[in-house]
Amino acid sequence: MEKQEVTKEDGRIVYFYTFDDETEAESAEETRE
Amino acid sequence: MSERRWNPTLEQWVLTATHRQDRTFLPPADYCPLCPTAPGAAKEYETDIPAPEYDIAVLENKFPSLRYPAPVPDVEGTELYPVGPGEGVCEVVLYTQQHNETLTVQPLHRIERLVRVWQDRFADLASRPFVDYVFIFENKGKVIGVTIDHPHGQIYAYPFVPPVAKTEIDAARRYRECTGRRLWDDILDEELRDGRRIVASNANWVALIPFYARYPYEVHLMPRRHLTTITEFTKTERWDFARILKVVLQKYDNLWGFSMPYMMVMHQAPTDGGDYDFYRFHVEFYPPHRTETKLKYLAGSESGAGVFINDTLPEVKAEEFRNVEPFYMEP
Repeated sequence: MEKQEVTKEDGRIVYFYTFDDETEAESAEETRE
Repeated sequence: MSERRWNPTLEQWVLTATHRQDRTFLPPADYCPLCPTAPGAAKEYETDIPAPEYDIAVLENKFPSLRYPAPVPDVEGTELYPVGPGEGVCEVVLYTQQHNETLTVQPLHRIERLVRVWQDRFADLASRPFVDYVFIFENKGKVIGVTIDHPHGQIYAYPFVPPVAKTEIDAARRYRECTGRRLWDDILDEELRDGRRIVASNANWVALIPFYARYPYEVHLMPRRHLTTITEFTKTERWDFARILKVVLQKYDNLWGFSMPYMMVMHQAPTDGGDYDFYRFHVEFYPPHRTETKLKYLAGSESGAGVFINDTLPEVKAEEFRNVEPFYMEP
């Protein structure tokens, strides 16, 4: 999981979370999808 | 303006946040501030999210009840009426960029991702010196008072331990002092031994309508292992938490065939540096529906006396809820 922090013009922060392919594969295994 | 005012009669802080009167109220779906900003959108059509797409995002609330640094209070306090700045953080957690979805319909791996985001936000906010308590919650549905339909939850980082958590913590501390045992250990043991109020379970989590439920369909999620905060989950506990959370959400929607409104709250140990080993992480759901068409209101007894009147028996409601699809009773 990665987090990108962006500060808006009004000073508020937005955190964008992204999840890599390895995690996706792990998810599939864990969930037995 | 936002500030906290002390109520000496209940020994509780009240937050005043007058700017929230002007907050966004049920905007149309094509003007949702929590959807991504369309690529190339003109300035006036930008949403609150400065990106053309996102997976899970968290943003600071545009109309916060608490902020840091906090403005100077509007009024001066007195010995009788202490006043403090409304220091804290209010965040909005966007479960998905899809406006018309809910947490319930998210695939399991996306709910597990959300749990990781909650863990990250808890750890981040807990590390800030002005934060004594991190409260993760979701208000879902117009009858709860939701003002934006986009699927989202919230996090309040308070500069004090809020009264419901404090009451539970004080009770658990006294129980520990009197018995030498942890209160939630004994609650879970008794619920498992009795069994009638269990609605779902897996290897690491139990969902139940507790003996002392105040709402007819008040489900609690309790970890089998002693945990004080969400950051202590093992990987397996995290996945199992996502599983049982999804099951309970599905049961709610399947109960009457519509998307069930609810409040979902996480009770965790404070982050003020104290020792809370006697307390236990757990999740509580408060759905306002007492039947398919009738709501439970917090009226005179509940609001004025603090005495909840539950029109149902938890044992009966748990049996009904346990048998709603999906059936999920893993050992």
